[in-house]
Amino acid sequence: MKKISALALKILLGIVLGALGFFVVTFIIYFFNLDMKATSMLAPFLEKWFDKMDRKQYL
Amino acid sequence: MKTVEKVVNPVRRRGEQSPSRIYDEKLKVRARREWRGVKDTLYDYTRWLYQVYVIGKFILLPRNVKGFFRYRWMMSYLFVMHGMDKFTIGLRDEALRITHTAMNFVIADVTQAIANCFRGDRRVGNDKAYSDKCVITDENSMVTFMMGFDTQKVHTILREVPTMFASNIFHQFNVMHYLDIAQQYGIPGDVCPMPEAEAGISIEDDFCVLGSCAVQNNTTCDGSLMGNGIIAKRLEREYGIPTFQLATPLRHKEPDVMEYAAEEIRKAIAFVEEHTGEKWDWDVYFRAAKRVNDATRCRIAQMEINSTPYPQFFGAVFSLYNDTNYMGNSGRNADFVAIDHKLLELAEKGYREKRMYAKEYRHRCIVWGVQPQYVIDMLYWMVQCWGVVPLADMLSIINTDMIAEEDTPENREQAYRDMAMLNMEMIMRNHTHGGYKVLLDDLWDLCEKMNADIVMMWEHMSCKALTGMHGMFEEQARERGIHIMWVSHDLCDPRVFTRQAIRDQVNSYMRTVMREEPLDPALEIIPDNEAY
Repeated sequence: MKKISALALKILLGIVLGALGFFVVTFIIYFFNLDMKATSMLAPFLEKWFDKMDRKQYL
Repeated sequence: MKTVEKVVNPVRRRGEQSPSRIYDEKLKVRARREWRGVKDTLYDYTRWLYQVYVIGKFILLPRNVKGFFRYRWMMSYLFVMHGMDKFTIGLRDEALRITHTAMNFVIADVTQAIANCFRGDRRVGNDKAYSDKCVITDENSMVTFMMGFDTQKVHTILREVPTMFASNIFHQFNVMHYLDIAQQYGIPGDVCPMPEAEAGISIEDDFCVLGSCAVQNNTTCDGSLMGNGIIAKRLEREYGIPTFQLATPLRHKEPDVMEYAAEEIRKAIAFVEEHTGEKWDWDVYFRAAKRVNDATRCRIAQMEINSTPYPQFFGAVFSLYNDTNYMGNSGRNADFVAIDHKLLELAEKGYREKRMYAKEYRHRCIVWGVQPQYVIDMLYWMVQCWGVVPLADMLSIINTDMIAEEDTPENREQAYRDMAMLNMEMIMRNHTHGGYKVLLDDLWDLCEKMNADIVMMWEHMSCKALTGMHGMFEEQARERGIHIMWVSHDLCDPRVFTRQAIRDQVNSYMRTVMREEPLDPALEIIPDNEAY
């Protein structure tokens, strides 16, 4: 019984720590706008990619 | 001149007092997100998580990744959360919840529209069976002629919404490339940049190619007629997609145009039936009609709240939500009903608790004309910086009449007239065409009803529909003692008027004509001209 309780406690602790870790990491990304800062660094490379692409321009 | 009573917010704003610190001229996005106090920051964070989920779910599908690297306009969708940050400056409490409820739904709707485009696109998903049941329509078009088709069997694809309209809100520069393409091919630069950019997208071959047929609408101006011609030519001649021209009367207030307009709707429906092989279903139509009436009642109630000293749901989000619901949905999607009612509940709660967007409301304003896409946060800035509340905007002043919703033989005939009426009363057309009564008289009636003392006139440089009326606006505003503040822009092209150049017009009007100091001086100049 004690073993089961200890295991349940460990699982619960794991879930709580996991959720807390998820919250801390995602909240830092959210608050310091790291998501948008990362994508804004990506944008110039994508622009070059699209500039190089062949297009069938037609009017 | 008319004056209104100043309303002071009795509650001090939680969290930081000025949103000015989130801007950084060295960055293309915000330096950080706003601290709104614990409760509202956590709420904003959970909504951010939801947006991450929506985008993550979209990008997990391989064909969506393929589409992302095929279409230049997809770059804008890297900045969806940046777009959301534009709508929420300074917001707390119900205002924040209203904005997220409406915009999260619009974002999910646009994401689904992109996924649908990619599924049927001949270059990406190439699901032919799906594509054969798709009907392409214009971005600026009522889809009432699709109200009687089962949405599980026939799919309405507003192809230009994700490609041009929404993408420009998230990324101010993304349309410039298409404008340059159009002008390289000799299209003049003085037409409306929205249809011009759409023409440029077609010339560049950057639209998804899908659908058994397309329906185009003579929307509102020379630019849109020109753009439709260019787009239809490529659709029909190169891709073999037959295109119907739904020619809607512009003098929509004249009763003698109704039979012709109804006949056009009948022809559009017959065209869709012919090309998709699906039949019009009156049960489906009248269910949609009930939802249209429900949405109309909710919108009227929102406007009534806005006519009080404590308006709740206004600005670009009110306009974009109405645009999506009234034009792009037209009662077809049942999910909008719950959102309409949730928004109304939030607004009613905000009104009861006297919630305000800023620490002071000094002026009550009606926004007339068409707002620039690339400075979509302008109206929220105006409240925060100057205490000028945009109670209603022209694009949200749409039909308030109920349509027939019971299935009877007489109502089936009436339904064609109702669809025609809604189509003629489409956003923008209902005020920019139809004579001075809809453009001027309606404005003054609205000023009276909403107790407004200022009209902010968006002067879209390339819009010829409004150009000739400048003097009449000035003269009639003077007669009524209403301040009229002209603010020039070029809709989608930030090279003509930058964001700060647009804000400066308000700044100088408020300082020189109104002789006022800003509520938040730190917001008078914001370094976001180079931001997406």
